[in-house]
Formats: sequence, structure tokens, C-alpha cells
Amino acid sequence: MTDGEQLAREASSRDPAVGLRAVRALRELADRLETLQVGNARSLGWSWQEIADALGVSRQAVHKKHRNAEPSLFARFGKDT
Amino acid sequence: MFERFTKKARAVVTQAQEEARTLRHDQVGPGHLLLALTAVEGIASRALAVHLPDTDGLRALVRTEIDGLDPDALASIGIDLTAVREATEAAFGEGALDRGGKGGRGHLRFTSEAKKALELSLRVAIKNGHKFICDGHILLALLMLPQSAPVRALERSGADLDALRGTTLQEITAEAA
Repeated sequence: MTDGEQLAREASSRDPAVGLRAVRALRELADRLETLQVGNARSLGWSWQEIADALGVSRQAVHKKHRNAEPSLFARFGKDT
Repeated sequence: MFERFTKKARAVVTQAQEEARTLRHDQVGPGHLLLALTAVEGIASRALAVHLPDTDGLRALVRTEIDGLDPDALASIGIDLTAVREATEAAFGEGALDRGGKGGRGHLRFTSEAKKALELSLRVAIKNGHKFICDGHILLALLMLPQSAPVRALERSGADLDALRGTTLQEITAEAA
């Protein structure tokens, strides 16, 4: 069985406990990757609008969710110095 | 309420903060309370050991439940968390995928769910006619929080929760006598 087949089989697992656990973990993973990528984009000077467009969501939504993750000046310049 | 806490129960509350700090979490939740109960020798740790001899295994399950990033669940849909972690760390540095906790110093905030657990421990004590709140009451309270990290972890561990409740209550009653 190829990985793709394995994936398709598991993704359609009929056991809700298994399926829902996977969805929950996947959501958590997506959230963390989003936080990471948005933070990186901001530190590279991307505007909220540009980030929102890339994510396919509204500027308000992305700003509301990530404004607290705005890198501080210290985090932006301080890490390697 | 806290004046009724036994020395052991207070030690558990302090240890829960320590557990959160070690994991670099900035809040103390019910899961950290369960981790603390396994670490502080007492009624709860003994009752847990009776039903779940593999303490390290239980602690790992609890950490996964607190974290939410379950490698096994992701593997079930074909996602290799180790590979994702390696890729993100290659680009963004070590620990890039870890939740962005500040790794709290000083006093860590208790989540509303953790506060609820501590309040429930008082209620459990009153209901059973105990004038004190010990670590066992905290364990019984955690077991009353459906869908919480402790209950999910204990269910996954395959423990018999009713039997665990029974043993714990028995031990508390023996202590009270």
C-alpha cells in the first residue's frame, strides 16, 4: 500500500474517536505553523493585508488572531546579537 | 478555601506550577495538576500507581494531551510530526514548533478549568464529610472534568476510572479515620 492509500484509508477511519483526535491534532499543528509563518512574515515587513491575502482570510481576522504575536524590536534584532 | 488544604494538597498546587514551568507553558491547567499528583508522594500518587503502574507512560500521555500536538493522531492520517518538526526547525531554529510560551517565571496563572478543579475538590470533601482537602480530593475533582487533559489521558491509558475513584476515596477515608 502506498502512503497515499494508507492516508486515504486512515483519513476515512470510521471510528470517530480516531478521526476526531486526528482533526484536533491537525488543527493544533496548522495553528502553530500559522503563528510561525505570520510572525516570520511580519518580521520581514509584510503588511497584515499581504498576510491575509496569502492566507485567504480577511485582514481583520488575521490581525485579531496574531496582533499579540507581533515580534518585539528585541525579538526582531536581539536573537543573534 | 485554601486554609483547608493539607500540606500535601498545597505541595501539589506548587508542584503543578513547577510542572508548567518545566514544560515552558505560561498557564497552569488541569493536566499540570495531574502531573503534580503523580510527582508528589501521597494518596493520589499511590492510588494512581495501583491502577497505572507505568507512571512515566501516564505522564507522557498527559503531556501529549496538554500539548494537543499528538504524534500518533497525526500519524493516523499520514502526517509524520518528526518530519514536520525537522523541516520547521531547519528554517526557524530549535523549538520553532513548540507553543510560544514565555516559559513563565514567577507566578503562573491558573486556567479557569484548573481553578474549577480546585473548587470541585472542596465540594468533593464537603460531600464526603471531610473537613480537609487533600491530594486525593484534587484527583477526584480532576476526574469530574469531562474532556479535560487528565480525563483524556487517563482514558487513553486504559485505566478503570471508577476503580481509581474507589481506591482514592477509600484511602482518603482511611486517612480521615
